[in-house]
Amino acid sequence: MPEIRVTPLGAGQDVGRSCILVSIAGKNVMLDCGMHMGFNDDRRFPDFSYITRNGRLTDFLDCVIISHFHLDHCGALPYFSEMVGYDGPIYMTHPTQAICPILLEDYRKIAVDKKGEANFFTSQMIKDCMKKVVAVHLHQTVQVDDELEIKAYYAGHVLGAAMFQIKVGSESVVYTGDYNMTPDRHLGAAWIDKCRPNLLITESTYATTIRDSKRCRERDFLKKVHEAVERGGKVLIPVFALGRAQELCILLETFWERMNLKAPIYFSTGLTEKANHYYKLFITWTNQKIRKTFVQRNMFEFKHIKAFDRAFADNPGPMVIMPGYCVQGTVGHKILSGQRKLEMEGRQVLEVKMQVEYMSFSAHADAKGIMQLVGQAEPESVLLVHGEAKKMEFLKQKIEQEFRVNCYMPANGETVTLPTSPSIPVGISLGLLKREMAQGLLPDVKKPRLLHGTLIMKDSNFRLVSSEQALKELGLAEHQLRFTCRVHLHDPRKEQETAVRVYSHLKSVLKDHCVQHLPDGSVTVESILIQAAAHSEDPGTKVLLVSWTYQDEELGSYLTSLLKKGLPQASS
Amino acid sequence: MDPECSQLLPALCAVLADPRQPVADDTCLEKLLDWFKTITKAGSSLLLLQENPCLVELLCHVLKPQDLSSRVLSFSLRLAGVFAAQEDCFQYLQQGELLPRLFGEPGPLGGAAWTAPSVRSGWIQGLRSLAQHPSALHFLADCGAVDTIFSLQGDSSLFVASAAGQLLVHILGLSMQGLAEGHPSLQAGDWPVCAQKIVGHIEESLHSTAVPQITQALNVLTTTFGHCHDPWTQVLWVRLSPLVGSLLEKDPVPAAHSLVDLLLSVARSPGLSSSSCGLWETLAQTLNHLSPTQAGPLALGILKLQDCPQVLRAQAFVILLQPLACVLKATGQDPGPSGVLDSATGDSLTVDVLLSSKAACVGLLCRTLAHLELLQPLPQRPCPWPQEPLLGAAVTLLQLCRGSASPASDVGRHLCALLLGCVRVQRAALDFLGTLSQGTGPQELVTEVFAVLLEYLRSPDSSPTVLKKAFQATFRWLLSSPKTPGCCDLEPHALLVLRELLPVLQKRLCSPCWEVRDSGLEFLTQMTRHWGGQAGFRHALLASEVPKLTEQLLRDPESYVRASAVTVMGQLSSQGLHVTPVSPEHPGGQQKSLLVELLHILSTDSEGFPRRAVMQVFTQWLRDHHADVAGDTEQFMARVLQVASQDLDWEVRAQGLELALVFLEQTLGQFHSHCPYAVTPPVAAPAGSLAQALQPLCRVRLFEFAFRALFDCDRPVAQKSCDLLLFLRAKTASSSGSLEESRSGPDVASVEAALQRWQAGDQGQPLGDLEPEVVAALDCSQALNEDSLMG
Repeated sequence: MPEIRVTPLGAGQDVGRSCILVSIAGKNVMLDCGMHMGFNDDRRFPDFSYITRNGRLTDFLDCVIISHFHLDHCGALPYFSEMVGYDGPIYMTHPTQAICPILLEDYRKIAVDKKGEANFFTSQMIKDCMKKVVAVHLHQTVQVDDELEIKAYYAGHVLGAAMFQIKVGSESVVYTGDYNMTPDRHLGAAWIDKCRPNLLITESTYATTIRDSKRCRERDFLKKVHEAVERGGKVLIPVFALGRAQELCILLETFWERMNLKAPIYFSTGLTEKANHYYKLFITWTNQKIRKTFVQRNMFEFKHIKAFDRAFADNPGPMVIMPGYCVQGTVGHKILSGQRKLEMEGRQVLEVKMQVEYMSFSAHADAKGIMQLVGQAEPESVLLVHGEAKKMEFLKQKIEQEFRVNCYMPANGETVTLPTSPSIPVGISLGLLKREMAQGLLPDVKKPRLLHGTLIMKDSNFRLVSSEQALKELGLAEHQLRFTCRVHLHDPRKEQETAVRVYSHLKSVLKDHCVQHLPDGSVTVESILIQAAAHSEDPGTKVLLVSWTYQDEELGSYLTSLLKKGLPQASS
Repeated sequence: MDPECSQLLPALCAVLADPRQPVADDTCLEKLLDWFKTITKAGSSLLLLQENPCLVELLCHVLKPQDLSSRVLSFSLRLAGVFAAQEDCFQYLQQGELLPRLFGEPGPLGGAAWTAPSVRSGWIQGLRSLAQHPSALHFLADCGAVDTIFSLQGDSSLFVASAAGQLLVHILGLSMQGLAEGHPSLQAGDWPVCAQKIVGHIEESLHSTAVPQITQALNVLTTTFGHCHDPWTQVLWVRLSPLVGSLLEKDPVPAAHSLVDLLLSVARSPGLSSSSCGLWETLAQTLNHLSPTQAGPLALGILKLQDCPQVLRAQAFVILLQPLACVLKATGQDPGPSGVLDSATGDSLTVDVLLSSKAACVGLLCRTLAHLELLQPLPQRPCPWPQEPLLGAAVTLLQLCRGSASPASDVGRHLCALLLGCVRVQRAALDFLGTLSQGTGPQELVTEVFAVLLEYLRSPDSSPTVLKKAFQATFRWLLSSPKTPGCCDLEPHALLVLRELLPVLQKRLCSPCWEVRDSGLEFLTQMTRHWGGQAGFRHALLASEVPKLTEQLLRDPESYVRASAVTVMGQLSSQGLHVTPVSPEHPGGQQKSLLVELLHILSTDSEGFPRRAVMQVFTQWLRDHHADVAGDTEQFMARVLQVASQDLDWEVRAQGLELALVFLEQTLGQFHSHCPYAVTPPVAAPAGSLAQALQPLCRVRLFEFAFRALFDCDRPVAQKSCDLLLFLRAKTASSSGSLEESRSGPDVASVEAALQRWQAGDQGQPLGDLEPEVVAALDCSQALNEDSLMG
């Protein structure tokens, strides 16, 4: 029985360290290869030793797919490819390929420089890893090998983020990665066609959240920032997710221009600045508005926002705005949970004195968005990842109720197995179709009906043709198969006379059919043949031999039941 | 435990026990457990529990039926295990019957919480921590935990299933530890209860028809024999080997991969392999029974064994070579004089696998190539090693993948159709071909190797990853070309190859793919490093366009490529292979020198990689007394340090300190090794006074750079600066007596004050011109004592 198996090594009832193994029609694919922000030891990377007990990873895995450049989706990639030893292909979109090394370098810098870790991947390893990447375009079907193909769809979320369809024969899985179903100031909304996959693996970060209008949120944000600045204060926005920095920069830049504000806005040099370069480069991946106005003015060329210099650093102002989801174990998560004292590494304790605001500018789909995507793709079943267990449970029930499909939410290490029915494509001959059409019934998806024909298997292909054509093609002679039945009649007359009586009776009953009395004494009704014979033991009884072809099975059965009732008495 | 922590514990336990206060952060539970592990490792768990009764209360509390998070329950199970690992603490917890309630039937085991994998995992991990002493074994036997562990081997969670297997191995080892030395009895009745139960379960599983059960049993045995080499393992193997052997009678052999792992684990175990229980016969039998794909890992494992009968090794080698022998036969090639491949050719089963489907063919060939690649460099590799046929096979495979081979046989044509354009086989074959360069081969075959490599390097169809491997393999073969004694130049044939290679490289340096341009530059770096000083190489390189193209790549749009180009250019220049051409516009002068160009990159490149590469080149140039640097070293140093100090990339600043250290060594003498046995080289300090010696350092503003780095917010930079200043102090301390009076001078005070401001974070103010006397005094002063430097 063919099946699809899914095992999350990370992101199973968890946010962070996304790494999902999918086995589909004998092909093994790893979806994302992320790290967990909440750990500094071995636990930050997925435990790859579970992928295969036997043999090399390169032999086991057919490919690795990276959905986007955030570290919880690609942070373990150089470790996996250069230190664990995976040497096969890695697929991602062009912008992801361009921006990934910037984030990986930054991550390496933090690990090696700030935390002094020695056994970490090097810059050379990041480069060697990136050289194994095969970049893909949106909607381009990429053949990984003769059987496995993948296709990327626009996911919004961040520049270059993609959902991937993985297909082997007629079986397919869609992995969403992180996505956003509502367009924002610089990106469009996620979109996928009605591809009806066997399984949709979707993120569920905001499984229970229905976000209010984005306009209100933006207005509140700008109001808060403006008020703080007007009071002479400063606002620190720790934008931990690349992509959100660009979104907020555009928001602030537009507001500053409109309000003619003079207070300086800085963004920290390094990451955002480097990424801005790619945002300008991959303008086709942004939303329609930015693409349209790009010739007059590239929205990523900011006028009011300047690169930050260390010389400006003093006490962070009175307000901190956290603009998105904070992974468990991080400083952001602690501050948002209301912790007023933070123990930093080396047991240094910092007091949180500033005002903290949480305003979700997160580019994840909310519950409504997730339901919308499920409706769009029409999967046979859904699997939730990248979320918290309790919230997933709620969404799972909702999906099962609304779409009447199975929904799964495996924990890390748990395997979900989905049986799939093998779909065998069969070609149908034009002749057979024409005959079917001649009956006046047009094909209709909603009203399936039976079609008779002969199935021919030739050169690993199946074709349904008419019996005549099948015989002709295969050079075979037709064999007639007849059903037979004996009916006993009490009639002391001679066989010929009994036959005449049968003929007369049937002629009177079956007015619409062609009833014939043949010279040899037998009677025919269409293909049905009736012969009368004497009973070997009882001369007062005659035996009627009735035979018919399968085409006239209905009539044959009717006739025998009619004869079994006996013949009418002769009028004379 | 800190009194502070002790005070906090009750509140912490209260939060954990309160279902209304869900723990929002799972990672904190993990970290909390880490902390408890550290505490119990350092001291008595019993004391900890007695001093902090809230902990036992927490463990009792989680057992009450309530809506408690599965993660807190899991945490509590693991915590209980950590405490009970110490026997006195175990007894303490047993007094309150807490352990049976946590780990026995009445506990979470029978409840709804058991459906959460995290609870099952916590249960297993708790028991794993607990099972450290004989009392724990009795407990496990009494509470029926072992049966639950058996069932968890088939858990839907990989993590739980794997941990269950590991725990069984641990319990088996622990219970057998108590047995007297020497060979224990074969009679099961003499074994401890837990061990009897586990072995009985393994036997039952091996009898089973269900493959997952057989796999679980084999995995437990593999880990047992891999980790423990006590005499009882021999008895266990004697007892179980007939059952294991009986698996081979089934067709197909069930759980073949796990069986291979087990047999190899047994063969590697010193006590087991020498015992006379028919291991070698079983291995030979297994080799015959398994499919070619399954037999490969076993064959490789056998060939890696230190002591193994020659006949078995020969059989294993034949099996390992079979796929390549089939390829040679199918393409009508001579399997070679060694006879090994000859005997491997007749296997129809391998041919069937190879031809069955593209996936099977590719899989088998890639695995075979990888196995042989692993085997080739090992000292225990088979002898004679069929170098020639293997070379032939690798070359043939590469030709088949390119479609440049035209085999006459049907099998050959079929193989050609299957392998055409297959990147996986191309990569594996190129890796293997590179490894084979460690051996020799007849000239005509080596010519063929270079021909196929060139074919790949030239082909427009070669993917970037294939090209990278082709470059690597080519370099290895050039490196291994036979050399004329006493001369390390390329031999004539390799030179001919090089002449063909350079135009190809030239083309690849212009590739639209940055990966290809970069691989080309990396290849050039390796070649220049090895043969940069050799006439033949120099002549060929200079006659080509490669140096010019490399220079152009300094302005490549991709930063990785720019960085590689910087490295190559630095090396070419060191070797005198980069000649600055005379500009036609300025007939009298020269075009911008490479030094200026690299300085430009250092000051303006937006990416860190090229700037880091420039600093590495400069450091090497300074070490080698490169002409461009030696001309006016001080000016060079002053300029580079000034630019590097302002760089935002900490690695560039750290590299700046490396450069400064080289300069210091050259000015003041070698950096002394701290090793007491090291021979101290003669100090190259100048004969004049210390002040004179320090003068050039002041002129290049090295001290300002070092002091600034000392307060750098990036730790590695500060540490490196520390090393440099400590070295300087060691150098100056001995000869600074005459400068004693400078220490209290006004200049020193003002610089010290400036440094203190820097330390406080205000680095806006410059130090001004430092005089050698001030520096020497400062260097010896309290402001730079070792403690403050290390802090």
